[in-house]
Amino acid sequence: MSQPLEAPLRGVRIIEMGQLIAIPWAMKMLADMGAQVIRMESCERLESYRGDSVYLNDVSGEFWNRGANFYEQNRNKLGITLDLNNAEGLSILRQLVSISDVFAENFTPRVIKNFKLEYADLRKIRPDIIMVSSTGFGYTGPWSGFGATGPSTEGASGMAYMTGYADGPPAMPEIPYTDYTAGEHTVYAVMAALMHRLRTGQGQFVDISQTQTASATIPEALMDFTVNGRIQPRMGNQHPTISPHGCYPCQGDDLWIAIAAKDDDQWRALCRILGREEWANDQRFSHQLARWTNRLELDGLLAGETGKWQAHELMKQLQGDGVSAGAVLDSKDLLFDPHLKERGFYEVVSHNSITDIPPLPYASRPWKLPGSPAVPGQAAPLMGEHNKLVLGELLCRSDAEMADLERQGIIGYAPVDPRPVQRPSLDEQVRQGRMQRYETDFQQQVSEAFPPPVKAR
Amino acid sequence: MAQGALEGVKVLDLTHHVAGPYCTKLLADFGADVVKVERPGGDPARRIPPFYHDETGPDNSLLFLYLNTSKQGVTLNLKTPRGLKMLKELVRDSDVLVENFAPTVMPSLGLDYPTLEEINPSLVVVSISNFGQNGPYRDYKANDIVEYALGGLMYIFGSYDREPLKHALHQAQFKAGTNAASATLMAMYHQRLTGEGQHVDVSIQESIASGLRDVVNNYTNTGAVRRRQPNHSGDLTRIRQTSDGYILPNPGIGAGLNWNGVVDFLEAPELDDDKFSTPSARLANAEELGDILDRIFRTKKKFDMFFAAHEKRFIYGVIQSPEEVLADEQFRHRGYFVEIDHPVTGLITYPGAPFLMEGTPWNAIRPAPTLGQHNSSVFQERLGCAGEDLARMRAMEVI
Repeated sequence: MSQPLEAPLRGVRIIEMGQLIAIPWAMKMLADMGAQVIRMESCERLESYRGDSVYLNDVSGEFWNRGANFYEQNRNKLGITLDLNNAEGLSILRQLVSISDVFAENFTPRVIKNFKLEYADLRKIRPDIIMVSSTGFGYTGPWSGFGATGPSTEGASGMAYMTGYADGPPAMPEIPYTDYTAGEHTVYAVMAALMHRLRTGQGQFVDISQTQTASATIPEALMDFTVNGRIQPRMGNQHPTISPHGCYPCQGDDLWIAIAAKDDDQWRALCRILGREEWANDQRFSHQLARWTNRLELDGLLAGETGKWQAHELMKQLQGDGVSAGAVLDSKDLLFDPHLKERGFYEVVSHNSITDIPPLPYASRPWKLPGSPAVPGQAAPLMGEHNKLVLGELLCRSDAEMADLERQGIIGYAPVDPRPVQRPSLDEQVRQGRMQRYETDFQQQVSEAFPPPVKAR
Repeated sequence: MAQGALEGVKVLDLTHHVAGPYCTKLLADFGADVVKVERPGGDPARRIPPFYHDETGPDNSLLFLYLNTSKQGVTLNLKTPRGLKMLKELVRDSDVLVENFAPTVMPSLGLDYPTLEEINPSLVVVSISNFGQNGPYRDYKANDIVEYALGGLMYIFGSYDREPLKHALHQAQFKAGTNAASATLMAMYHQRLTGEGQHVDVSIQESIASGLRDVVNNYTNTGAVRRRQPNHSGDLTRIRQTSDGYILPNPGIGAGLNWNGVVDFLEAPELDDDKFSTPSARLANAEELGDILDRIFRTKKKFDMFFAAHEKRFIYGVIQSPEEVLADEQFRHRGYFVEIDHPVTGLITYPGAPFLMEGTPWNAIRPAPTLGQHNSSVFQERLGCAGEDLARMRAMEVI
């Protein structure tokens, strides 16, 4: 008798009032692991990720059901629309909270207070509710009213200040990086609160400052100041003790390899593979401290050699001899990476046929739990896709009541004021330098490498 | 004293360096009972700079001190039969074992998952590794910069015409440590409901690759490959210089933004132009807009701008140095920095709770252990070793 393995969070119901990444990404991870996540959104105030980065850059028709970032952040969720400015809408939300385990939101405290959705309000409806608020700077304090995006919290945390080229300004990557740092800590926080609730039956309020989660990951920089009164200068890709440690050019346009030769053995192997064995015994580079002291000179010499190589080939050669090295993968390399492929990292998800989006691969999760695996991937919801399921089946609203809610604009299936962001053409984006290149046969390449999932019975 | 959220969860911590210890720190600071097992030479993180007052020493690494709060510390030489036997006895009454060795190490020590499962079928084993427990890169060597490269984050990080960049310090490791802590509790939740253990596989490369907005998607949705942008294109929320530092203006890419409000706020009539008045127009004329914005911001002071912007509900960010983070009234109000006493360093200031749990507060109940600090108490209480056993084991270099 073999029973199908079940996801660990089956039976946990989460109401999400999220936007963008910090809460949606975290709730997606919990949804993947079996929680029933009901994501609430507004027809009045369109979620930004429904209006930008749409499939084929085509903003005609129901573009709000084709947002790539929306699909990325909201897999495996049920989606409903609710107008909270209407008393009946708010009462539906409160009714949902009364039958849920977790309420998660990332609006400013002002919004939550206005709607009377604070923890003190919710625990009256559901005494053991876990409420998670994720804000830029925290739910309390003089900055609590300030809105934030990922770059604001990366800046405030101290992380951006420490990062950048040695002779340049602070730097951050081209994604809202700390939104993910916050999201990762949020998954953990919800799990810790669920563990406590499982043991004691008690809920609680979890107050996540996205900035604090980011600062938690740069402790040595903060403590170097508190203990030694020192702030280290920005040092690009250099390492405080290892050299060579950097990013070096390879053959082709904007192609690179990262190399970190951690000890004398790796250094000698690197010299051998590059055909410059004489460097291994050169007194400027013969031991770790000498290499570190002469690191700028060494980086220049290495760049002269790596430029003769194809990045993946050099990585294979170096790794084959135990040297820590990695080709700098662009987004296409990352998607087609043979290692991630063998690990099954990308999960192919089918989209509702009205979207005309073919099944597409999405990044899955950084963990595998073979004894209680993730649920099969379902695409993020269309706007209002699960109104009927959630309000009708779960809250027992009749068809007539549903029609009435729709007539009053409390629920809906499309934004009230649809305003998409039209991105410039791909040619223009390449000209501006936003994109490295584009390929016209990408649909064929993607569908061949990632065939649609076989329908489970 | 309120209990931690993870009261009653017993963790055997075989981790070293950064990713594993951050995972078990998150567990320990929120109430789990964590016993850190170090090799007799100690966790190599004890040798990572910066050091307390710049003096090296096994208890002076600030990173190590931070990463190992709330844990008890023992030493065991797992390459001796006695050391291995003692570890297996500790496995018997643990809920979780976390390790971040290279994937071949645990099996070579005789501690592969089937062996551990046989000793304790309820045990959750969490393995954190560079590339996961299988696949063609499994045995590749890596550290943070290599993970940035192979995780896809490096290619879109840095200046248009320079080499790709990574974050300072150990971001890839911290991401994986956080994800591992989450995965540990997912498996623990399952264990508490069913009694079943399992072997959890956490990959550092995948920790980076699972948090990249609009990277792989850009290719799957349009065929385009992103790159590091010139400073004046596309996304307008970019770091700009002020007279006294750096700020992150958000001149708005969302469809709902009132552009006249932005023009007024910046006192910049030259921006009152159809070339900039809609998000689509701003994308099309990004270079010109960027030049104007740079000129404006160079005359401003960063905190003045930051606070004035938030009065108008414009989402601005400010780049703070560690010194400014320490002085920040918001961090102070939240009680973020905490003082922890340690037998070697005395009382020093640490970053504290990454988030606040009202019912089960974060609490660093003890400083990072000195090497083998809890050998006597742990081996006596958990394994019933007598004092003379311990002395003998010390002499035989088992502990």
